[in-house]
Parts: sequence; structure tokens; C-alpha cells
Amino acid sequence: MSLMQINNLKKSFGQLEVLKDISLTVEQGDVIAILGPSGSGKSTFLRSLIDLETVDGGDIIIEDNYLCKDGKYQPAKQRRETLKKMGMVFQHFNLFPHMDIEKNLMLAPLCNKQADKAQLKKEALDTLRKVGLEEKLHEMPGNLSGGQKQRVAIARALMRKPDILLFDEPTSALDPELTGEVLNVIKDLSKEKMTMLIVTHEIGFAHEAANKIMFMDGGYVLAFGTPEEVLDRSGNARIEAFLKKVL
Amino acid sequence: MPLNEWIPQMAEGCIITIKLFITVFVLSLPLGLILTFLYTTKNKAINGIVGLYILIMRGTPLLLQIFFVYFGLPYAPVIGKYLTINDRFTAGAVAFILNYAAYFAEIFRGGLLSVDKGQYEAAKVLGLNDMQTRFKIVLPQMFRISLPAVSNEAIVLIKDTALITAIGLTDLLKVTKTIVNRTTNISAFAVAALFYLVMSYVLTLVFKFLEKKFSF
Repeated sequence: MSLMQINNLKKSFGQLEVLKDISLTVEQGDVIAILGPSGSGKSTFLRSLIDLETVDGGDIIIEDNYLCKDGKYQPAKQRRETLKKMGMVFQHFNLFPHMDIEKNLMLAPLCNKQADKAQLKKEALDTLRKVGLEEKLHEMPGNLSGGQKQRVAIARALMRKPDILLFDEPTSALDPELTGEVLNVIKDLSKEKMTMLIVTHEIGFAHEAANKIMFMDGGYVLAFGTPEEVLDRSGNARIEAFLKKVL
Repeated sequence: MPLNEWIPQMAEGCIITIKLFITVFVLSLPLGLILTFLYTTKNKAINGIVGLYILIMRGTPLLLQIFFVYFGLPYAPVIGKYLTINDRFTAGAVAFILNYAAYFAEIFRGGLLSVDKGQYEAAKVLGLNDMQTRFKIVLPQMFRISLPAVSNEAIVLIKDTALITAIGLTDLLKVTKTIVNRTTNISAFAVAALFYLVMSYVLTLVFKFLEKKFSF
């Protein structure tokens, strides 16, 4: 059984149909880069997978649990349970500015009674070490660079031991010289077989780190396959025009 | 001017001023917070009632509200005898609290609006429930954002306490007026001004310290 199954998602904002018919199967260990021109519905699609957007139709099945079935959502408590193994990293990091890094990392696991405090303190340090920021344990988020903030945000998501991580343009708010450190952390995660869906504009990174590319345009999936299939020899005029613009 | 006589008398007047300030400040802040919550719930009827309350409290003079609570409430039909507050200090404090709560409610609402929506989203994807999100993420940030405006209100309040003279409490201003009437020396007013200035300055320092302590 696949890790995540998405069938025929539909979503409109008023008159504007953002998602017209999106289906996707995610297997364990997949790293799927979601590409496409702006306004193609990439972010809306990703956000709907973790209940930040409400879709109008279709199914979202995560590890055999329905988040929504035919556009009808499960009650809030059940949705929270279904999404327990999902994590998300945002374009603007969204760290909690009033807490130091350690508290940022420990808050959710403490609230969800994942483990006792001593154990979580240890995990926080270990996780921070993984993203190369153990010396920032007691810094406030405001004192970090953008790249460091995003690495902390990834560490915070990892603290919940997710099976699936979603990234919504994780490097778009960063200075060009800081994107590398974040992309390297994501690459390390892919080596550990973390399942990830990444909305990005970094074509080179997508080619290198993703095993599948989903190309969206106008609310549809235009192409889905390996990076070679989608980026190198799709033969699709829309995709080639897009690549010409961004490369 | 016999400062050695005036200062102890004025200091005694300050006790009422400070007592009123603390009572009002400590009680109107939580009341303001409750009003903010009621104002931001999804229930339209409750929003309307709170909106009307804030409109009245901010839209009429505080002095008039003090008179209303002390002199007016006993004349309310039917329930008047239950609303009679004979103690001047209590009556004054009630009017102040009701008035300042309305201002604090608006300050907190502004603070609430300034909390980035990304904070709610981060809390949600991390599995926090509504209560945890409110108390651990939103409120601490709301308080921090509101702090400069609350500081401003506190300084306005310490000076507004002088209005209590109007219902005959012997606060700093009342004591000063008595001295001026007795001695026909108006320089006592200047001394009173200094007293207010010192109290305002202390408040300024306290809030500066708080802003620094809770900066992020």
C-alpha cells in the first residue's frame, strides 16, 4: 500500500479554480519535486495535504487513513491524528519568535506528550546537530540568518518523527548564497529515505535530489515521472517554455 | 513655601492615587483580555454587544462615567438598589476599570491582528490544539506587541486618577487643592506636578525594562 494516495483533488477560491483534477501516489522514500509556473496551484496542493487548505472534492488518504473522502472531511480530532506523521516546512520558516531554538523544537512534542522532558531535551540537541546548528540551542530565532532559521524549522518538523515531510518553497525567501545549506539538509534527509514533497523553483536541485517530478500547470498535472522523463525529454512545449525561462 | 509640611501631606494623597492606579490596572487588564476574546469570537451577537460596550466606554467622558456610577446607578429602575456603591473609592475604581478595560480590549485586539498567520499555520502542522496555540503561541506574542501601547495607557491612567477628586476622594490633586486654598500659595500645584511626573517616570522605566526583557 502506498504511503499517501491523492485522488481527483478539486479546489476553488471563489470563481478561480486552482486545483482542477490532481491525483498522486506517494511511495515510501519518494522525493517528489513539484514544479510549475506561479499560479499553477503547487502551493495550494501541498497545503491541502496537511489541512491548511480545504479542498472541494477528491480524496486524501495518508497511511490508510482518510483525511478527506470525496471532499468530505473527518472531524478535527481525527484529522489531527491522521496528520501526526506529517511535517511541514514553510517558505517564511514560521519559527516561534518568543522562544529560543530549544523551546521551538520541544514545544510540539511536549504538547503532544511524545516523551518526557529530559528525553526531548536530548532529542532536540541531536536533531539540531543533524542540521549543523547545535551551538544555537539557546539562541532566539531573531538572531539567526535565514538559512539557519530554515534549518531550525526543518529540525522542528523532524522532532515529531514524521513519515512524510512537505516543503513549501523552502529556499525562496533566502539569499542565493544561503540556499545551499538548506538544500544540503534536504539532500541528507533523502539519503535517509525520508519521504518528501518539495515545491521548489530550484530546477537543478530537483533534478539531482528528487526521484520524481510532478509538473503542474493551470490546476492540472502536466507531467509526472523521473527527472529525466519530465525535465530532459518530456517533449511538452509548456514544460520546455517554463524551463527555458527559469534556467 | 513650607515644603516640609506639604510633602508629607501630598505623599499621603499619593497613597490613594497609587492605590487607585494599581486596582484599576490589575483588574482592567484581564477584563480587557476577556473583552478581546469575546470581540473576536465568531458569534455575531456577542461581537455586537462588546462593540457597543467599547463604543460607549470610549465615546463618553470618563468623568461622566464616574458620576454615572457613583450618583446615577442608584436611580436605575428596579435594579438600582442593588447597584448602589456607597464607597467613593470603589465607585470610582469601578468606573475606571470599566473604561480602561475597553481601551485595553482594543489594544489587545490590535496585538492579536499583528500576530502573523504563519504562526497559526506552524502551530497547526505541529499538531497543537486550539488552546495550546492560543496560550503558548498567540498570547505571548500579542502581549509583547501590545506592551508599548499598554505602557502608554498606564501613564495616561496615573494622571487620569486625578479625576477621582470630583467625587471627593483625597487623592494627590485634592490634597494639593486643599493646601492651595488654605495657604493661598499656588506653588503647591507645581509640587503636585512633580509628584505626577516622578510617578510617570517610574512607570516609563518599568515598562522599558519589561519591553527589553520580553524583546525578541
